[in-house]
Amino acid sequence: MNTAPNRPALRGSLDALPLFIPALPFAFVFGVVVAEAGIPEWLGWSSSPVIFGGAIQVTLFTLIGEGASVAAAVSAALIVGARHMLYSVTLAPRFQNQPGWFRWVGAYVLIDQVFVLSQIKPIDEPVAFRRYFLSAGFTFWTLWMIFTAVGVVLGPAIPPEWGVEFAAPVLFVSLMMAASDRRDKLAAAALAMGLTYLLASLPNRAGILIAVIASVAIMLLAHRRHSS
Amino acid sequence: MIALAILLTGAGSYAMRAFFIFALARYAFPPILLRALEYVAPTVMAALVISMLTTPEGELAAGLPEVLGLVCAAFAAKTTGNHILALIAGMGTFWLIGAII
Repeated sequence: MNTAPNRPALRGSLDALPLFIPALPFAFVFGVVVAEAGIPEWLGWSSSPVIFGGAIQVTLFTLIGEGASVAAAVSAALIVGARHMLYSVTLAPRFQNQPGWFRWVGAYVLIDQVFVLSQIKPIDEPVAFRRYFLSAGFTFWTLWMIFTAVGVVLGPAIPPEWGVEFAAPVLFVSLMMAASDRRDKLAAAALAMGLTYLLASLPNRAGILIAVIASVAIMLLAHRRHSS
Repeated sequence: MIALAILLTGAGSYAMRAFFIFALARYAFPPILLRALEYVAPTVMAALVISMLTTPEGELAAGLPEVLGLVCAAFAAKTTGNHILALIAGMGTFWLIGAII
């Protein structure tokens, strides 16, 4: 598993492309949210390079559109994005043997899809890891810049009755399976699903973070009991 | 005010992504923590799936087409390891069952 692929930069781009498919309808959802909040298109779009996180951007503008204060909208958006701290911890060991500039730049493109790609394809060789990570990250970044611009201009271009938003959970199930290459990981995923459902009514999707931390802790305890 | 909100959120989300990468740059991770980190990717993906299928009030917003679509996608992902095939299987099942019932 821990082998460096040939041409890691090309591999990173190619691996990122299919993961963008569900982000496409989401870019149009983003456009509708910006329009409904009464925000100028260019200002709404500017959140794509500044924030670079779809769910965070949509949460921010939804709340602003509902008349929330800046403090309330920003804090809600950041709670939605809190899982990125887990990505930061998880990738910290792999960033240890990397140059300083890559820590700054790599953190900027650390989104759900790039994180999970780096976990599904762990690359030990530092240069190959860096090329793969940056290539996947900036492929996703470029597409998100283009399609959120298209989204804010066109608005509701995809009829909601098609149900294309369902592509997002479908892709994440696929990524979940790819990330669960051992039975205990699959058990952890199932546990996280159940806990997230139980915690789904917590505000700003805070249940995601709690469910993940709780299921990881339970798996560790189970492992300890099993091995002692 | 909107520009300020965007800048604050951008700074905050960047800080969340960068913080531990920098804070733990020289930290010797104990084996128990490395083991814990192995579970982050599958559990976050699992939590995101459920989160996308529940309303903010905590109600499940998924019927038979969604459930069968996800099962088929999971099966396709496990057997082929290909995300595009999993998307086709999941969306195809979702649309097909939705059209039938």
